[in-house]
Amino acid sequence: MAAVQVSEAEKVYIMHGVRDDLRLDGRGCEDYRHMEIETDVVSNTDGSAKISLGHTDVLVGVKAEIGKPRAMVPDEGYLEFFVDCSANATPEFEGRGGEELGVELSNTLYKVFNNRHSVDLRSLCICPGENCWVLYVDVLLLQCDGNLFDAISIAIKAALFNTRIPKVHISEDEEGVKEIELSDDPYDCMRLNVENVPCIVTLCKVGHRHVVDATLQEKACSVASLLISVTHRGTVTCVRKMGGGSLDPESIFEMTEAGKRVGKALHAPLMELLQKEESLGKKRQKVGFLG
Amino acid sequence: MAGLELLSDQGYRLDGRKATELRKVQARTSVFAQADGSAYLEQGNTKALAVVYGPHETRGSRSKSLHDRAVINCQFSMATFSTAERKRRPHGDRKSSEMSLHLKQTFEAAVLTELYPRSQIDIYVKILQADGGNYSACVNAATLALVDAGIPMRDYVCACTAGFVEDTPLADLCHAEESGGGTSLALALLPRSGNIALLQMDARLHQDHLDALIEAAMTACKGLSKVLDDVVRQHLEEVSVLTRD
Amino acid sequence: MLKSKTFVKKTRAGGVLKIVREHYLRDDIWCGSEVCKECKDEAPVLQEDACIESNLCSYPHYLIPDTNVLLHQIDILEHTLIRNVIILQTVLQEVRHRSAPVYKRIKDAIHEKEKHFYTFTNEHHRETFIEREPGESANDRNDRAIRVAAKWYADHLTKNTNGGSLKVVLLTDDRANKEKAEQYGLTVYRCEEYIKSLIGNPELVDRLALKPDDQNEIIGSKLLFPEHLPLSRIQSGIKNGGLLQGTFHANRDNYLEGTVFINREGEDINEVLLQGLQNLNRAVHQDVVAVELFPKERWVAPSSVVLQDDSPNDEDAEEDETENKLKGVPPDSSVLKPTGRVVGVIKRNWRPYCGMLSQSMIKEATRHLFTPADRRIPRIRIETRQAANLAGQRIMVAIDGWPKNSRYPNGHFVKNLGTAGDKETETEVLLLEHDVPHLPFSPAVLSFLPKMPWSITEEDMKVRADLRHLCVCSVDPPGCTDIDDALHCRELENGNLEVGVHIADVSHFIRPGNALDQEAASRGTTVYLCGKRIDMVPELLSSNLCSLRSNVERLAFSCIWEMNHNAEIIKTRFTKSVINSKASLTYAEAQMKIDDTTMNDDITKSLRGLNRLAKILKGRRTEKGALTLSSPEVRFHIDSETHDPIDLQTKELKETNSMVEEFMLLANISVAQKIYDEFSECALLRKHPSPPPSNYDILIKAAKSKDLDIHTDSAKALADSLNNATVRNFPYFNTLLRILATRCMMQAVYFCSGMDSDFHHYGLASPIYTHFTSPIRRYADIIVHRLLAVAINADSTYPELMDKHKQSSLCNNLNYRHKMAQYAQRASVAFHTQLFFKNKGIINEEGFILFVRKNAIIILIPKFGMEGTVFFENKDKPSPRLKFDSEGPTLEVEEHTFHMFDKVKVTISVDASNIQHQRIRMALIEPVIPGVSVPVPESEPVAKKAKLDC
Repeated sequence: MAAVQVSEAEKVYIMHGVRDDLRLDGRGCEDYRHMEIETDVVSNTDGSAKISLGHTDVLVGVKAEIGKPRAMVPDEGYLEFFVDCSANATPEFEGRGGEELGVELSNTLYKVFNNRHSVDLRSLCICPGENCWVLYVDVLLLQCDGNLFDAISIAIKAALFNTRIPKVHISEDEEGVKEIELSDDPYDCMRLNVENVPCIVTLCKVGHRHVVDATLQEKACSVASLLISVTHRGTVTCVRKMGGGSLDPESIFEMTEAGKRVGKALHAPLMELLQKEESLGKKRQKVGFLG
Repeated sequence: MAGLELLSDQGYRLDGRKATELRKVQARTSVFAQADGSAYLEQGNTKALAVVYGPHETRGSRSKSLHDRAVINCQFSMATFSTAERKRRPHGDRKSSEMSLHLKQTFEAAVLTELYPRSQIDIYVKILQADGGNYSACVNAATLALVDAGIPMRDYVCACTAGFVEDTPLADLCHAEESGGGTSLALALLPRSGNIALLQMDARLHQDHLDALIEAAMTACKGLSKVLDDVVRQHLEEVSVLTRD
Repeated sequence: MLKSKTFVKKTRAGGVLKIVREHYLRDDIWCGSEVCKECKDEAPVLQEDACIESNLCSYPHYLIPDTNVLLHQIDILEHTLIRNVIILQTVLQEVRHRSAPVYKRIKDAIHEKEKHFYTFTNEHHRETFIEREPGESANDRNDRAIRVAAKWYADHLTKNTNGGSLKVVLLTDDRANKEKAEQYGLTVYRCEEYIKSLIGNPELVDRLALKPDDQNEIIGSKLLFPEHLPLSRIQSGIKNGGLLQGTFHANRDNYLEGTVFINREGEDINEVLLQGLQNLNRAVHQDVVAVELFPKERWVAPSSVVLQDDSPNDEDAEEDETENKLKGVPPDSSVLKPTGRVVGVIKRNWRPYCGMLSQSMIKEATRHLFTPADRRIPRIRIETRQAANLAGQRIMVAIDGWPKNSRYPNGHFVKNLGTAGDKETETEVLLLEHDVPHLPFSPAVLSFLPKMPWSITEEDMKVRADLRHLCVCSVDPPGCTDIDDALHCRELENGNLEVGVHIADVSHFIRPGNALDQEAASRGTTVYLCGKRIDMVPELLSSNLCSLRSNVERLAFSCIWEMNHNAEIIKTRFTKSVINSKASLTYAEAQMKIDDTTMNDDITKSLRGLNRLAKILKGRRTEKGALTLSSPEVRFHIDSETHDPIDLQTKELKETNSMVEEFMLLANISVAQKIYDEFSECALLRKHPSPPPSNYDILIKAAKSKDLDIHTDSAKALADSLNNATVRNFPYFNTLLRILATRCMMQAVYFCSGMDSDFHHYGLASPIYTHFTSPIRRYADIIVHRLLAVAINADSTYPELMDKHKQSSLCNNLNYRHKMAQYAQRASVAFHTQLFFKNKGIINEEGFILFVRKNAIIILIPKFGMEGTVFFENKDKPSPRLKFDSEGPTLEVEEHTFHMFDKVKVTISVDASNIQHQRIRMALIEPVIPGVSVPVPESEPVAKKAKLDC
């Protein structure tokens, strides 16, 4: 992952700050940086969202395709994740440089999102055992400034909220041959229920305390971090310890509690923002990258 | 069912443009803080993001570096969701490798590389949404990013496509026009000198039409250069207002 | 500038792909009216004075038809009376998707200046573009777009005429649309309503197409046909192999039978037989249909009976009786064919049909049956109030639809062509039926003709070889005005001979791509009918500037060989040239000169040289296996005043005919080689495939009957055995055999060298061949001229010339036009033959049996070069005892056995009982078979129908 090098003195300075709940950029330990979200930024996807969190920029596009349901769960559709760590974010990612990170990120995303508790996978089923919708969630990293997981998860939630899947109905002729017909009306489409879609909160252990939304410098002072996915009710759906160092059980408990608190608080303003944007409809001035 | 009528009898194209009209071009520079230079450009529905790093020391093996000028390193990629049918890989396929190479050649012609011996300039472009003319959008975006990075160039590099339908050259093709059969020519121009930095055409075309086609593409490029220049000047104005205060 | 345009995105989901297209709106689309001051249109199309006498709209107005009106009432819109019509882009696009022929017709109408049709690009106009709303269907949206555009026009015109009287009238047959438009404040009428209001022109009413509402009144509610499947089902059926797609061909002689030709590669079945009205299921000749194959046990054999749908009533009664007629035929198990039924129509290929009205029995009835001239087309029910006037007239009718509860398709009257049997009318009919473009050349085409007086300029002379001093002459049939070839021959100083073939340089006058060129390319060939010529290029070129007449300077494209006295080519040269022909001779005149030993002028010497070389060339060609085939050609002596044929004779071939032909062949071969060497991908060549061996069966059998062997393994063997096939005391036998051989041959075709690998010309025994020598009357030759000109650097190339796909599609058109021209020509000969015999009364003539059929013999009358059939079965009479042996083939009638080539005597007369299909009747006089043959005297022969085979 893109990393910065921090001198010993800097480290001490950062750690002391964290101890006093005052971080380099003036935030408290449980504060996020300035966040901007916009949906429907790529018109040829079925749903898309762009988020910038500090200098971290992520673009998510969702495309729905018709596929075959998995044999184990014939009445469910599924999600596919791909994270493109492009060279735009940092020259280190050039060629195959970003692949390792990409795989790590997407594997985590599968665990967090691709289950029926997060997304109503049943609603993606078209014809049990035969056809279902496959949502390709493609994440594009444009700029890395720490805390990728949180940014990506928020962008995914926004993009899923924005996703509109064309309505289909199945016609059957005498011989029982099924034909999928797409609705001719572009307004006739299906929305996903994103209520239960969790957000990821990453907590970095810095010194004896932990911070959310760590910058690259803070990350460099941290030995290990804990990734927690939290729903709007505060339910924890996934916990993962990341990084090379070790954590004692006590601080894991503390961090989980903090994560729940922060995560729960994150959902409400996010949904409010998305609803507001939605209500503007066509009148909304799209900013995208031109703003 | 009948195919698409690319040019109506009234002289309008599928999207309502006339034969020589460009798509709406919008652009912004300095979209990212971390990179040395960056730009975002929309040419109709084709959207490209370009980022420039450098000039800096050559990365990796020293043997790549050139003693008398800078190495230009390009990577072209497309977001997996950029096309109507989802792409499996953002880069690394033959088409994008070829595109990377073309970009490299184009900018080697334009950047004053001799000013930075033994160093490297990275140009990364990404297509976020593809609707025809990917190459030209990339070139135009990369030009802006280079300007943003403050890397000296001989001139803007402006690129545009032109196609040929029923004996009429069409400027700046959209995807439907590109795939609707017929010829498509991509041209990168250094507008002030009128020199051509890159010229590419894959389809068959009668020699008689080539001049007309190149002419159409050059006119389109000149139109584009004006737009790019405006973007740069506007950005400069904004920045200078900010710094004056 | 572009930026000023707002743009709206249009999303179209096709499959699961989300396709996003930009849609720019403009503010520089003009209304196209002369009146408007606001719009900056340079050449407004719509007139200020747009008046038509109507009792609904007394003010000047522009018409705006909606999509369905345009689709169904195109015949009305094409009428010269209807002018000043605004065609909205929305409408045009919908038409384009729904019917290619109508789209083509409306585009033609738009291009016609006198029609004042204007296309308004409303979808890109800032004020008339609308977006689809939630819950709105695509059709509703388009209807709304039409209303919005109409409203815009109404307001725009009011504003810009200062409250003037100019209005727009929306035409729609959709009730809901009409109501909404009225609420919206538009002047709107149903098409029928409007047309009926045109009091000054009642004839327009008949052109109205029937609408679904009306159809319900006409027809009974009983379902006569199975429902057609929806297109989606058809498509999936074809995809999974359950259904087959093909082109439907109706049987000319049996209206209850047809064949579908499956045009997909890799199918093991390429023909499906259909029998019975139910299974034909409303397919009309040439429609693209989907068929379902029956299981093998239901396969049947094609019936060989002749059945015509001639029931006089137009009731929708079920035709059990006629269906039984088919079943009565005992199936011959060996010839069972894949059989099936039509389940749906993929694409209708209807065109306007020529034919005649069969008047309804009820005098006041307005609904009548129309019988098309083409027997493969079913009868059509039309509605007309002028039935009395149309009796005995040839008329044109278009089909509107064929509901499942109607026995006949419904259609409407298009136009009256004139009195049936009239020479002009019949010629018009046969041109229309054979799709021969024969309208006068349009002003646009004529505008590309050279300005008169025309003369050869200095520039022309600079780039051309000056051959005016040469003693060039032309040899053609008498009365020929389009002379496209001329010849010369002279001795060179080195003792060799120089022979030149000079061809009119048509490509000098017809430049690629202009209207003149396009018209010529579309016509493809000049069509020669009896007493009429339909030119491919305007007369100024065909009969004047390009015609190599004597004693005028003309531009030519010359092919000049240096030959030794053995007619071996030493050198070939192609050049553009200027010639001055010294004489235009007829074949007879040229022959006379050659034969008359007292003549020794340059022309005669030249001719003799040519003749001598031609003989050597011909000998060599025959040696290689070129075929000399024969088909009787008929020539009419036409009365100069009445233009009626007064005599009829077969064309006579002179030595000079073959002399000219020989050099034309040589030129064609030389040119073919040259252009192929130069352009291996895009040379336009002509090939003649060798026929499959089975084609020769009849020829071999026929020769066997006279104890002769015909070898068909190669062209050479065939030619030799034909030469040796003579029978003592029967000089005409060899000609008969050659006529038969001609029937075994394949059609020669044009093709593009890049698209094919087999170039061989079987009949001429040449490995490569093309057409170079008649550019005035064949478009292929013009292309070949252009290719050759490029090859010798005399002209520049252009893109289409080098595009093998475009060349190939051009070849398809040329082949089609040539075939049609041939058919038209035969039909014209047949018609004139009838005229001739009509004037002659009944004639007795000798003839030979050409073919023996199951129930008839086909007879050739050498004197007139015509064929006729003598049937031995008759509806009104008990049939004589017939026994057919396919081995011979022989036919035993009562006591007499007919063999091929038997000499017979017949009477010939015209049967005018059916005015639409007048026929030549033949009846047997000799040999005398009691009850079958007729007595010699000029009494009315027993009704034995015969027709010219065409």
